[in-house]
Amino acid sequence: MSEILSFYLNGNPVEVLVKPEQTLLELLRDELGLTSPKCGCNHGDCGACTVILDGKAVKSCLVLAPTVKGKKVVTADGLCSGEKLHPIQQAFLDYGAPQCGYCTPGMVMAATAFLLENPKPTKEEIKEALSGNLCRCAGYEKYTEAVLAVSKGEFGLLPEGSDFNV
Amino acid sequence: MRSYFYESPDSFGKLFEILEDNSIEMKFLAGGSDFVPRLSLEREKIHKENQKDSMIINLSDLGLNYIVENDTEVIIGATTTFAEIEKNDIIKGEFPALIKAINEIAGFSVRNIATIGGNIMNASPAADSVPVLMVLEAEFVLRGPDGSRNIEAKEFFTGPGKTVAKENEVLTHIIIRKNKGKSAFNKLGRRKAETLSVVNAAAYVEKENNICKAVRVAIGSVAPTVLRCEEVEELLLGKELTEENIRVASEKVVDAISPIDDIRASAWYRKKVAPVIVRRAIEAAIVD
Ligand code: FES
Ligand code: FES
Repeated sequence: MSEILSFYLNGNPVEVLVKPEQTLLELLRDELGLTSPKCGCNHGDCGACTVILDGKAVKSCLVLAPTVKGKKVVTADGLCSGEKLHPIQQAFLDYGAPQCGYCTPGMVMAATAFLLENPKPTKEEIKEALSGNLCRCAGYEKYTEAVLAVSKGEFGLLPEGSDFNV
Repeated sequence: MRSYFYESPDSFGKLFEILEDNSIEMKFLAGGSDFVPRLSLEREKIHKENQKDSMIINLSDLGLNYIVENDTEVIIGATTTFAEIEKNDIIKGEFPALIKAINEIAGFSVRNIATIGGNIMNASPAADSVPVLMVLEAEFVLRGPDGSRNIEAKEFFTGPGKTVAKENEVLTHIIIRKNKGKSAFNKLGRRKAETLSVVNAAAYVEKENNICKAVRVAIGSVAPTVLRCEEVEELLLGKELTEENIRVASEKVVDAISPIDDIRASAWYRKKVAPVIVRRAIEAAIVD
């Protein structure tokens, strides 16, 4: 039995028909056509589907779609303002972190949410924070270094948390 | 093919009303980190004939997300997430072992949605929060249409995925008594991060002049449920907490467990490492 679900997606209110058994990942990809969250495993292992839900990183394949009613969902698409990339996105690009790029949107979201809570992390803490995001091209070192560089301010100020709390 | 329905009641009255319908299979949803992939798996498989329809009941709107304390107890609502518990000052002060266990559960993007109540009700023999709750002698409170009842952690689990809860009962909160001893948690996984336990153990010790005044030990992933190891406790109680005494007592865990081979480890290996993990948990609980 489908029902209408309303929530905020990348700052905009959306209304969409949702099935009770659908995951947030399916909703984003199949119903709303937003393919930046990837489906690597569909079982919470790989992190390719990571999005930010009410300010916190979550694996969207683990979230039942109807439960996001009234909440705020941000995907990698919602991080850049116009042509300007989010510092994390720019850093990943400049460090050449993505290889095939499949894990990248998930990495971007996990790293962004992590820095919101922990703006001055150590390298160990960054590794720990990204431990739920698998990269089959094994670009971990560059992802970690890029996040470290962002935390040191090398890519400019991070947009405040409130920017995600539309 | 079965149809799915979804409700998110905001009161227990409404919840119990929904539960009265016997024509449909009721499923409780807390955070979803275990429930949702299981559901996805069910949907990917070839469908069984004549299955009842399924009602998914979201428990997040019942106001069970809180951590409060009084002079003697700390109370954690069942839908409080692991991320919330791990950041909470009351828990940090009273039960650091619980924080340690939670830190070892998956990664932060899972702990942001996974709830303590979900971890308990899944009744996995490998659940990392459960050994700690057991040595802290936590009580689990179940609420059904006829009222609430409190059950001790060690009486709660009856098998893998099975608890004493009836089909129309939900876990509402967990009560943990404050105590004067120290507790600790130790886990062995296949790798450092993001992994399920091969063996996990928790210990609680009260000591005076290095004599063991009270001790509780629990071990997970080596039997159909998480276990209290009374064999180990009996041997250590009243003794001096020397390296040797702890080692000998820890060996006793082998009598209590009945491990199986699974994808994470063999029964043989689990028997070998269980005493080591127990010993490390006890040793961590006695450092000042
Ligand atoms: S697709 Fe969600 S964690 Fe892999
Ligand atoms: S860049 Fe290929 S999976 Fe990470």
